[in-house]
This record gives sequence, structure tokens and C-alpha cells, in this order.
Amino acid sequence: MDAPFKKLALAVTFSPTSRALLREAARLKDLFNAELLLIHVGERTTEIETRMIEMLQSIGLSLPNVNLEWGLGDPAQVINSVCIKNKIDLLIAGALEKEGLITYFTGSIARKLMRNPPCSLLVLVSPKDSTKVYNKICAGVSFGPECPDTINKTFRFAHFEHTKEITLIREFQVPGHSIAVYDGVSSNETQSNRNRWIKEEEDKMRVFLAEHNLNTGIKINLVALYGRSGWEAKNYVQQLNADLFVTPAPPKKLKLVDRLFQHDNEFIFESLPCSLLMIKGN
Amino acid sequence: MTFTSNDITILLLSMAVMLFVARGMGELMRLIKQPLVIGEILAGIILGPTLLGFVFPDLFNGLFNKSQSSEIILQGITTISVVMLLLVSGIEVDLGIVIKQGKKALWISIMGILFPFTLGFLMAWSFPQYLGNTSGELHLVFALFVGTALSITALPVVARTLMDLNLFKTEIGYLIIASAMVNDLIGWIIFSLILGMMGSASHSLEFGSTLTLIFAFIFIIFFVGRRLINYAIPFIQKRFSYPGGILNFVLILGFLSAAFTEYIGVHAIFGAFIIGIAIGDSVHLRENTREIIQQFVTNIFAPLFFVSIGLRINFVSNFDLGIVLIFLVLAFAGKIIGCGLGAYFGKMKTEESLIIAFGMNSRGAMEIVLATLALQVNLINEKVFVAIVIMALVTSISSAPLMDIFVRRIARKTQFRNLLRPELILFGELSNREQIIAALSQIIERKLSLSMDSISSKMIEREQSFPSGIANYLAIPHIHMKVREPVLAIYISSKGADFMATDGLPSKAIFLLVTPENENELHLKILAEIVRKFQDLNNAETITRAKETIELINMLRESNAY
Repeated sequence: MDAPFKKLALAVTFSPTSRALLREAARLKDLFNAELLLIHVGERTTEIETRMIEMLQSIGLSLPNVNLEWGLGDPAQVINSVCIKNKIDLLIAGALEKEGLITYFTGSIARKLMRNPPCSLLVLVSPKDSTKVYNKICAGVSFGPECPDTINKTFRFAHFEHTKEITLIREFQVPGHSIAVYDGVSSNETQSNRNRWIKEEEDKMRVFLAEHNLNTGIKINLVALYGRSGWEAKNYVQQLNADLFVTPAPPKKLKLVDRLFQHDNEFIFESLPCSLLMIKGN
Repeated sequence: MTFTSNDITILLLSMAVMLFVARGMGELMRLIKQPLVIGEILAGIILGPTLLGFVFPDLFNGLFNKSQSSEIILQGITTISVVMLLLVSGIEVDLGIVIKQGKKALWISIMGILFPFTLGFLMAWSFPQYLGNTSGELHLVFALFVGTALSITALPVVARTLMDLNLFKTEIGYLIIASAMVNDLIGWIIFSLILGMMGSASHSLEFGSTLTLIFAFIFIIFFVGRRLINYAIPFIQKRFSYPGGILNFVLILGFLSAAFTEYIGVHAIFGAFIIGIAIGDSVHLRENTREIIQQFVTNIFAPLFFVSIGLRINFVSNFDLGIVLIFLVLAFAGKIIGCGLGAYFGKMKTEESLIIAFGMNSRGAMEIVLATLALQVNLINEKVFVAIVIMALVTSISSAPLMDIFVRRIARKTQFRNLLRPELILFGELSNREQIIAALSQIIERKLSLSMDSISSKMIEREQSFPSGIANYLAIPHIHMKVREPVLAIYISSKGADFMATDGLPSKAIFLLVTPENENELHLKILAEIVRKFQDLNNAETITRAKETIELINMLRESNAY
């Protein structure tokens, strides 16, 4: 099985979490036998260069083994353009689990990257120095055109990571369904509809797995949830205490209107249930 | 003014009779699969001056006496009912789904409003006398009202129809619901503005100030109120008794918001509708809570309101065939052409466009609410009111059967049971997967005159990387190709062939499925349905033992259908 990502990138700062991020990037680099590009947004001075080399050395990396790009300007924009220019497969970033209301709307660097990722994006929630292994992975199933790639990369990631279990989550909602009660439909009937649809979605997931030859040795759970997309999955992932949630990247840049009338992904961004891997389609 | 014991007795008795007859007629309508609202209106006609008042005038006058006190009570019930109806209507408007459905829903809803609105407006503006406005008063407002009256779609009737036709969880179902939601939103805003223009509510503010306040109100509710409500609902659901707490919260907000908009010179319904949207938008509002709110309104306020309509109006003496026919023609033409064109511009197929058009044509309860309010403020007379009620009923009754014609046509092409065609079923002893795939490809090509030279080779190539053996003697070689509709061919092999099934059993039932490109969900749905029929080993063995085509088709149609 091929590694899901071959070219990784990490934006390096000197924040309290940067060492932990770097350590995780180095681990994934080894795991996937991939290249690693470090991006620093800020002026290139001898002092910063020295600090950078020291930090790299402290976790067993050195510049000939990793590449380093410097850039000036808006951090999110610089990171985006460097990733596109270097054809990066996976960008790694750290993020707070939850941000204040104003920051959520204006957007921190991490949230900006999530809303318009240049490539697949791994967001580590409050990374710590100890190495995190993704034993429990959850992945969203949409059955859209991007779905096979997302699920395929999830399985490949899980294979390299020796993940113990993968939970595939299918969220769906039938709008206006409860209003049928208004016209004489009983609650039993609506509940029975929902149960039937849940069964139908679980069957579809089973077939999807078989169709894409994804029945590997990893334990697989299939869950169909009735409710608002994004919101239901986020809560489920949180309750399950999953280590990683994989979801397709938004097909186009999420804007302010998507925060006001929440887009599915925005429910997740609002308060991250765990580390998040967003897969950008080919 | 005080209520005597006699007044109270008669009031309670009349309400009991109204609810009793409404329930009876409603259940009757359910039996014949018609909207509940038709039964409730008929109950009003039976109990009102049209029938009871005509046959037993004393009984009618005794039961529904028109004393000042009973009039006030009836007026109060109507106002509360209308506010409640609009509140629950708003709760079901999901702006997120509207945005998600994107351009198609936007096209359908915009055309579904613009076309009937323009048609109605022009007709009422140019020939008001034909639509019952002989005095020429409130010319512009009347024309705006007729336009709006033809534009609003009734969500509850649409929802029920979609459920009956098993269309709820389909792309078309989503589109109809999303479009009807936008339709409602725009329609009610326009109607509220019309009522504001008439100064029907408070006269304390000028129209310009009212307009500013309306938009400020919408802005505050959508951008601040929505968030606050979203924080409050989980707290209430957790801390207060359920469902009493949340039901109270919804009603309190609904009444407060309705009172505010009434105060600023817009009708109370507007406030109820907008706050309903904000409440319904909360991710914390449970599905069963929504249903409890719906039940509360449906079983108490809606019947009282719709029956009271028949109590006030004589449907025989106010029946004007000319006005009724004009409204019917305008209603059908406006919605069907408008929504049909919208769906067509949204790049939907003709049959799908027609399903959407007929689905959006049902007016039902909302149109009657609108007409009642217009009658209350003397914008329309009784004859126009009766014509609008009849139009609402006819469009609601006709919606499901007209949709069904085209639903059947589509279902014929996409539903699993309809994909089972005797000429595409083979029985034999082949035990080599390549040979079976070639045989099935050949009959597809021959019977359907499709040019599928590559089907066999593509299937075999795919089979080598992704074997299609499932389990329990089942294999489903499948592929997406440039076809207009799904095609399914079946081979029942007495010996079985190795399709590398996960349980190691030979595949005796081989379903070769070809679906159109970009129809991923349909593809998976058909696959899932086939797999489901083979989940039980005994069932699978019975199917694989079939010897005749018809026997096999019957088995597949019967077992474990969704």
C-alpha cells in the first residue's frame, strides 16, 4: 500500500507548541517516507536562522534532511502559496480547540487555512511534546465525488499508523420531514422512516467499502447519523474520544456567510472535537 | 363586557363540536390520502352557514351565536392560530439546506415566485373587476396581494405529498422542500409589507420607519438572536421539564416577536415567522421536539382556525365561478410554468422539472391563512376569499396525482424492482466469471440496442483489481458508463463461479449493473438493495435455486425491499 502523502509541509514559528508540531511532522515524515518542507513567515535574520537550526537539532532533524522556505506577508497567504508552488500533499498546522467568538469570525491563521486549504491539511489540536498515535480514527462519508479519495487516504493513513479502529460516519438529514406531522403523519411513522433511512445508509456504506476494496484488517465501524451535517459527526467524534477526524476539505473557500449560516465544516471548526485531517481532492 | 355561564357553556360546546367534526373529516381525508386541511375546511362548511345554517338555522345560531363576546373570542382564536401556524412554518425553514441546494433551488424558488407573482399582479392591475375588485379601491395593494397569493407554496402539504410518493429522501424531494422554503420566506415578507402598506397594524409609525425597523429586526434576529437561541435551547432542554420547558420557550418567543412586529406596524405573523426560522435553525432543537410543537398546533389551533373559516362564510352564496376559474388558471399556469422553467434553467430533466412544478403548485393551509388576513383587513371580499380557498384546495388535491404520473416514469427507470427485466435474466451452468460477464454484457447490448463494445472488457479489467464477489453466493460486477438510466442483467449459475467472495463461496447469483456516470448515490443505493436481499443465507440460497425468470423476479421484488 502506498503512503497517502509524499510531500509534507509545516509552518514553523517559535510558539510554545512549535516543537511538538515539528516532532509530529518529523514522525509523519519517517512514517510515510516523505519529504518535509518547513515554512517560516517572517524576516530572515541570522538570529532566527540559528534558533531554527537549534530547534531542528533538538528533535533530531537537520537542514539537509528538510527544506526550509522563507516568506513575508500575511501568514495564511504565504503558507498557501508556498504549498501550491511546491506541490505539497499535506500541510500540518496546530490550532486551538476553540476560539473566542470574535477570533472565530475574523479567523486565526489555522482557521483561515482550514477554510481554504491549499492541499490536504492536518490540524493538530493543542499539540503536546509526547507523540500521539491515532488509534481511533473517524471519517465522514458523503458519497460525493470526493468521497472515494477521502476514504482511501484515511485507510492508507490508518494502515501506516497501525490504527486499531476506523469509524465511518455518514450524516444525513431529510429537510422538512417533521413538518409532515402537521398534515396528519404520526410520530411513529416519521420515526420508522428515520430508522429505515439509517439502515439504508449503513447498507450503502457497506457496499461502498466492498466496492472500493477497503475491507482491510483494521476494525471498521459504520455509523449513520440523522441530523445536521457537521454537527452530528462532531458530537459523535467527541463522545467516541477519537484521536483523528478525517473529512473532505471544503470544495471552495468558506466565507463569512458560511459562518453566519453555518456550513457543515464550520460546525467542526467552531470547536474541534480532536485533531482534524482534511483531504483535498485531486 | 362579562361572560355569562351560558356564554361559556356555548363557547366550550362549539369548540368541542368544531374539533370533533374537524377530526372526523380529517381522518376521512387521511383515508383517501388527501391533505388534512381539506377535511378541516369541509368541517367548517358543514358546520357553517353553507350547510348547518341553511338546513338548521336555529341550531347553527344557537351553537355559533354571533354575540359580541363570541366574536371577540373567535377573533382571538384566529389571531393566535395564525401566529402559531406561521411560527411552526418558520421553524421548518432551514436556510442551511437552501444554501446547500444551491443554484437549482434558487432558480426554482425565484421563478416560482416571480412568474406567478407577475402574472397575478398584471391580471389584478389590468382587470381588477374580473378578480372581484369592482370598487377600484387599493388598486396597487390589491394587485400586490393577488401576486403574492399566487406565489406561496404550502410546505405541510408538500411534505405530506413527498412522503406519500416516497420522494422525501431524494434529490427532487430536497429541491422541492428547499425551494418551497425560499418561496415561503419571500412570500411572507412581501405579504407583511403589503399589510404594513395598508397600515393595518399600528398607525404609530410611518411606512418608511416601519420598513427600516423590519430590516433591523430581521438583521438582529438572524445574526444575534439566532445565536442566543442556540445557546438557550440546550440549557432549557437540560434544566427544565421536557417537553414543557422548550414548548413554553418557543411559544413565549413566538408571541413576543409577533407582538413586536405588530407594534411596529407589520402584522404579527411576520414576527412569528422570522423568530420561527431562528428557533428552527438551532442544532439543539431535537427532531421530536419539532414534532411535539407541530402536534400541538396541528391538533388544537389549526382545526379551530380552519373550521372557523367555514363558520364565517357562506361558500354557496359567495361562489363565483368566473373568479374561481380565473384564480385556478392563474395559479396553475403561474406555478407550473414558473417552477418548471426554474427547474429547466437549473438543468433538470423535463420529467424532474414537471414533478417539481406540480409539487410546488400545492397551496394548502398557507394560502388560506393569507386570504383570511386579507379578508380581515377588507382587502378582498368574500367572493375572492372563497375563490382563493377553492384554489388552495384544488391545487393541494391535484398536486400528488399529477406528480405521481412523472414520478412513476422516473421510478420505472431507476428503482431496483423496475430494473428487473425478464429479457435481461439468464440461467445456465457457466462457472467462469469472464464468460458470465461476457454473456451478460452481450444480452445488455443486444436487448437494449446499446453500443457497449467495451462493457465486457472494462468489467473484466475492473474485476481483476476489485473482485466483485460479496458473500452468500452473490457477486455484483458493476460499472459507470455513458448510459441514460441504470441497466441490470442477472445470471443464475447452477455451478457458481469464483468472483473471490469474502466468504469463499462460489457466486451463483451474478448481478451485472451499469449506471450513468456521476450517479454515485443511485449506484450505491441499487448495490445496497441487492446486497440486502442476500444478507440472509437462507434467503440467498432460495434465490439462487430459482429456475424460472418470473419466479426469480417475484422473489427479488418481495424480499427485504426498502
